[in-house]
Amino acid sequence: MKKILTLDTLYTILSFFGSLVILGIIWELVAIVTEHEIPGPASTWVVFKELIAEPFYDRGPNDKGIGNQLFSSVYRVFLGFGIGSLIAIPMGLAMGSSKFMMRLFNPIVQILRPVSPLAWFPLGLLAFQAAEGATVFIIAITSLWPTLINTSFGVSSIPEDHKNVGKAFGFSTWKYITKIMLPFALPHMITGLRLSIGVAWLVIVAGEMLSGGVGIGFFVWDSWNGLSLEKILIAILIIGTVGLILDKAFSAVQHAFAWENK
Amino acid sequence: MILTETEETVVKETQTGVSKPDAIKIKNVTVSFKSKSNGLYTALHNINLDVKKGEIVTLIGHSGCGKSTLMNTISGMVAPTSGEVYANGNLVKGPGPDRGIVFQNYSLLPWLSVFQNIYVAVDSALKDLSATEKRELVEKNLQMVHLWEHRHKLPGHLSGGMKQRVAIARAFAINPSILLLDEPFGALDALTKGSMHIELLKLWNLDNRNKTIVMVTHDIEEAIFLSDRVVVMNNGPAATIKEIVDVPLVRPRNKKSIVHEAGYMDTHDRLLGLLTDKFDINDID
Repeated sequence: MKKILTLDTLYTILSFFGSLVILGIIWELVAIVTEHEIPGPASTWVVFKELIAEPFYDRGPNDKGIGNQLFSSVYRVFLGFGIGSLIAIPMGLAMGSSKFMMRLFNPIVQILRPVSPLAWFPLGLLAFQAAEGATVFIIAITSLWPTLINTSFGVSSIPEDHKNVGKAFGFSTWKYITKIMLPFALPHMITGLRLSIGVAWLVIVAGEMLSGGVGIGFFVWDSWNGLSLEKILIAILIIGTVGLILDKAFSAVQHAFAWENK
Repeated sequence: MILTETEETVVKETQTGVSKPDAIKIKNVTVSFKSKSNGLYTALHNINLDVKKGEIVTLIGHSGCGKSTLMNTISGMVAPTSGEVYANGNLVKGPGPDRGIVFQNYSLLPWLSVFQNIYVAVDSALKDLSATEKRELVEKNLQMVHLWEHRHKLPGHLSGGMKQRVAIARAFAINPSILLLDEPFGALDALTKGSMHIELLKLWNLDNRNKTIVMVTHDIEEAIFLSDRVVVMNNGPAATIKEIVDVPLVRPRNKKSIVHEAGYMDTHDRLLGLLTDKFDINDID
C-alpha cells in the first residue's frame, strides 16, 4: 500500500495552514489600521456562524440562504461554461486542423476575446429578454476563448511523425481524428477548459451584480446595500475557495489525461 | 533480448539464377521543393534504380543528400516532381499497405499501448480481416520481436531498442511485400544495433526472403552486413546515384566472422572511398 502521510505531504499541509495564518494576520492588521471600518476575522467569524447555521433558507426572492446563493451561481457558471465549451471545442478543432478555417476565424477570435464581460451584458439582455439568460450568455462568451485557443493550438501542433503514421498505414479520417488528433490535443484542450472555468467563475460575480436575483454576486451587492461588510468578506472568501476547488478539480482531470507523464 | 550471432533459421534456398521480377522501379525521378528563401530546391535529380523482389538494398550517403527523400518517393509520402516510381508494377500515387514503413524515430503513438499501436495499423491496412484475425496477427508479430509480454505498456516505458522492435513488428504486421526502413537503427547504441540487425534478417528469413527491403543508413558496416547492394548517393542539392556497390557475401551472414571473409574489406574500402575523401590529419588543408 502507498504511504499516504509522507513527510512531504505533512509539509504541504503545514504550509497550507501557515498560509492561512498569514492571511489572518494581514486581515487583522487591516482591520486595526482602519479602526474596524473593515471588520476583522473575529467579528466576521460570528456572522459566518449565523450564515452557516441555516444555509438553505428561502424567504422570498431577495432573501435566500448563502448555500442557495452559492448553488445557483455554480449552476450558472457550469451552464455558461458548458455552452461555451460546446462552441469552443468544435471551433478549436476546426481552426487547428485547417489553415483556411484558422485564417477565416482567427480575426474574429482576436477581436472578440479581449471584450469585457460587462460590455456583453446589454446585448445578452436584449437577446434573452431576461437577466438570467444574459448572465449565462456573458459567462459563455467570455469563458470560451481559452478553450478555443488551446484546442486549436493543440490540433495544429500535432507532430509530422504522428501524421505520417496515419498516412503510412492508411488511417481513415475517423481513425485519424480518434487515434491521433483527439488524443494529442486532449491535454491542451483540458488546459483550455481549466483556464475557461477560471474565467467563468471570475465573471459570475460581475454578472450577478448586474442581474440581481439570486447568486453569490448578488449576495455581495445586497450585503453592500445592507452595509454588512462581514458578509462581503465572507463572500470573498467563499468565492476564492470555490474557485480553488474548481481549479483543483480540473487539474486532477488534467493529470488523469496526460499521457506524457505515464 | 536474445543476442544471437547468426541467423538461426534455416532457409529454403530460393531458386538461384532465375531472375526475379522488379519489386521497385524508379524511373527518371527528380524531386524539387519550394523553399521559402531561394525559390526551388532540387533534392534529387534524375534517379534511376531497380530493386528486385526479395532484395535488400541500402541507400547510403551524407546527411542531407536526399536518401530519405528518395525513400519517401517509394513510400508515396513524397510525390516526384518528374519521373515515376513503380511498386510491384503499380505506379506509386501515395502510401499503400503493400509498403510497410519503419520511421527513423519509431513514430509510435505515445497514448496507445504497444498492442494498440500495432492493432490500429493492422485495422487500417487490412480492413477485410475479422477482429479475431487482426488480434492474432498482432500477437504473432509481437511474439516474433519478443515483446508480447510488454503489450500493455505505453511506448514511453520502453527502451529505444524495444520501441524500434515495436515499429518493425508494426511494419511486418500488415505483411507488406516491400519494407522501407528510414535509418531505423540510427538512434540505438552499437550493441542493441547489432542484435537488431540479426533480428531483422531473421524476420526476413522467416518469410522465405520474399520481402524486398530498402533501408536508409549512414553506417557502412550496417549496409554491408544487411544488404545485397549498396546505393551510394552524391551530396545534394540535386543528388544523384554515385555508384551501386554489390556486396559479394553469401547468406546467412555471421556478425563475427563476416569481417574476415574475402570481399568484406574490399567492399568496406570501396564504400569508405566513395563516401570520404579525408582519411588522416594530413588530408586536411
